[in-house]
Amino acid sequence: MALEAFTHSEALTLGVELELQLLDTLDHDLAPRAQDLLRVLDGHPGAWDVKPEITRSMIEIGTSIQRAHGPLRDELHDLCRQLSRGARKLNIGIGGGGTHAFQHWSEQQIFPTERFHYISELYGYLAKQFTVFGQHVHVGVPSGDDALWLLHALSRYVPHFIALSASSPFVQGVDTGFHSARLNSVFAFPLSGRAPFVLTWDEFGQYFEKMTSTGVVQSMKDFYWDIRPKPEFGTIELRVCDTPLTVDKAAALACYLQSLCRHLREERPFEPAEDDYLVYTYNRFQACRFGLDGEIVDPRTKQRHKLRDDILRTLARVAEHALDLQSLEANDRLRDSLFEGNDATWLRAQRQAGLPMPAVVQAASERWMMK
Amino acid sequence: MNPASVPWPARIVPDGPWLSWLGLREADPALALAAVMLLALIVADVAYRLLRLPRLVGYMLVGTLAGPLGLGLLRMDDLADWKPLIDLAIAVLVFELGSRLRPRWLLDNPWLALSSVLEGLLATLAVGYALVALGAPTLSAMAAAVVAGATSPIIAMASVHDLRPRGQVAERLLLMCALNSVLAMLALKLWPLLATAGQTHWASDALGWGASALFVASGSFLLGLACGWLVDRTGRPGGHPATVPVLQMALVMLVSTLASAWGLSPLLTLLIAGITARQLMGHRLTVEPSLGSAGAALSVLLFVSTGLLFTLDGMVQLWPWVLAIIIARLLGKGLAVALLARPSGLGWRQALALTLALQPMGGLAVLLVMRDFAWQAQLPGIDIAVLQALLVATTLMQLSGPLWVQLGLRQVAGESPTEPRHGT
Repeated sequence: MALEAFTHSEALTLGVELELQLLDTLDHDLAPRAQDLLRVLDGHPGAWDVKPEITRSMIEIGTSIQRAHGPLRDELHDLCRQLSRGARKLNIGIGGGGTHAFQHWSEQQIFPTERFHYISELYGYLAKQFTVFGQHVHVGVPSGDDALWLLHALSRYVPHFIALSASSPFVQGVDTGFHSARLNSVFAFPLSGRAPFVLTWDEFGQYFEKMTSTGVVQSMKDFYWDIRPKPEFGTIELRVCDTPLTVDKAAALACYLQSLCRHLREERPFEPAEDDYLVYTYNRFQACRFGLDGEIVDPRTKQRHKLRDDILRTLARVAEHALDLQSLEANDRLRDSLFEGNDATWLRAQRQAGLPMPAVVQAASERWMMK
Repeated sequence: MNPASVPWPARIVPDGPWLSWLGLREADPALALAAVMLLALIVADVAYRLLRLPRLVGYMLVGTLAGPLGLGLLRMDDLADWKPLIDLAIAVLVFELGSRLRPRWLLDNPWLALSSVLEGLLATLAVGYALVALGAPTLSAMAAAVVAGATSPIIAMASVHDLRPRGQVAERLLLMCALNSVLAMLALKLWPLLATAGQTHWASDALGWGASALFVASGSFLLGLACGWLVDRTGRPGGHPATVPVLQMALVMLVSTLASAWGLSPLLTLLIAGITARQLMGHRLTVEPSLGSAGAALSVLLFVSTGLLFTLDGMVQLWPWVLAIIIARLLGKGLAVALLARPSGLGWRQALALTLALQPMGGLAVLLVMRDFAWQAQLPGIDIAVLQALLVATTLMQLSGPLWVQLGLRQVAGESPTEPRHGT
């Protein structure tokens, strides 16, 4: 099967997708209520999109194409309001967070669509264990070659987004010690991790053909890479973020990525190299395990840095671009969060204050629904 | 149809050879009931495994067979020794029902609030109209219709334990059965007002009945609030974890008894207590898991006893009225649910499921059984044939109740796993 052509799109346009938890308001366990909520939201007046996810306790929302922080945040606020209203009508809660703190994967029900049943049959219990919740950010690029260059240039910044967005410390009722335990579920998939190091769309097409000829993949959707090109949209898609506990944080993360992409594209501070990936999985692990306190290795200088310091330096470096993109407020928000702690820290603080797990989930849900 | 032709109360209990052979009655009625409970557990389990019959139906069937309607091993009177436990079983279930309700949902979804009131109202009007059309006296027909408007909260709650559903049909079922039972209870408190209309001193009596209804509503509300508050206080962190559920049960029993003794509504009191406790305690309130096997044993006792209270006396003469009650009720509830299904966020299949799940009757037992088992005393002046038709309809819709709920929640709505994790 041949790879489809890469659709041209305006550089640095943004789209945000959020996978959200649907919760029972009695015990705050996951509730298989996606179809109910989708029916209630059918015909909503917003430009955003809402669709089912692999299990019936999840939904995915996607914004329209955005260019700046203000309108993106406004749209996310609008969808948050409308989703929350629909959820209250049905007596369900909606929550952010990369994992649900105490759900049992075996009780999840696959959403009845052909693709989800295919995934369920192929991956078995992994499909149900994939009841995790991420934020995906699409950034527009003009061509396939641009997409692959940017994708690999961004690889060294992947730990930034993991640590900033991390909101999944609890799994199956236990504190994992990780800031983002969600990514451990993603790593279990055979086609997860990093994209192959090719820098032109033609080379990527050859790789894709080889893979499809093996029968291992059927489409680009079968790749669960941390960053992947999305030819039909004309974007690259960053997939490592946990869904944050607020839409404000989601907007800020997207705009940090936007200003970082502009910095990389316009200043070309380095050329991506295969050796950038020597430390990739180590750095990613550090971000998942220790969050902002993780220690990463610079693939070029081989020096170690605190992740928090590396993000601070990068925020300073991209400030000019954030100003041009009207995203300074977003970056300021992230800078503040470096000292306040990420969402995983907030969730742990709730637990340490003596709340039972269901109450922690309830508190997170109330935060997302802006009660 | 001649009401006088129907004997009531029918207490024809055959002292057949079974009793003397077993010697149970002579030994101790409590022992007989315990033996019947044991038998009920075995029979219900076999019926569940072979026929997939809900265990609750099995318990009630065994109670029915052991009672006046069957072999006459036990009489209604024999329940007297067990009444405190039966009351506790009902109280715990109603308290748990209250703790599962989120009144705020009615504000978030006004269509649901309207639908909840309308389904009880239309069922009541439909039953009343059908009975009057078939020749029943109007006032008595309306009294029976008010009772028939309610859905059994006990069967709904126990079925939810059994089926473990997750979804809005189950949530709406619990909300609606609580609401329609409370509305039916309040309407019945005003029944004597209608029954004595036209009599001398009616005006002064009316004031008294009105005040009485107000006293029941406000008194039950306040007592429920106090109970919920006390459950919260006793459940505060610091107490020994093992004693918290015991204190909870003791409080529920105490308040239920007080409500009954003071002429209040135990139903409303316990619902408010459950709601209040949930609001104050949030996730600290754990009702069902704390009761565990004790709650399961109480449920068996409750449903075996329910079977003992069943009656089909006068079925041959009264079947048109019985059928009218059942069908009119089904249509009334179905119409109300369907009318407001889409605005309230319900799909058509879910609306059908909810209509089916709302069918179990038995509100009468919950509304009135608290003080004693003499139901007729609560409805002075009611036509005896109408009351008997209501009781027969209740028997049928109570016995088949768990099947209706299972059909609605599992088969139609798909909200319950195919195999329940454990039975009640």
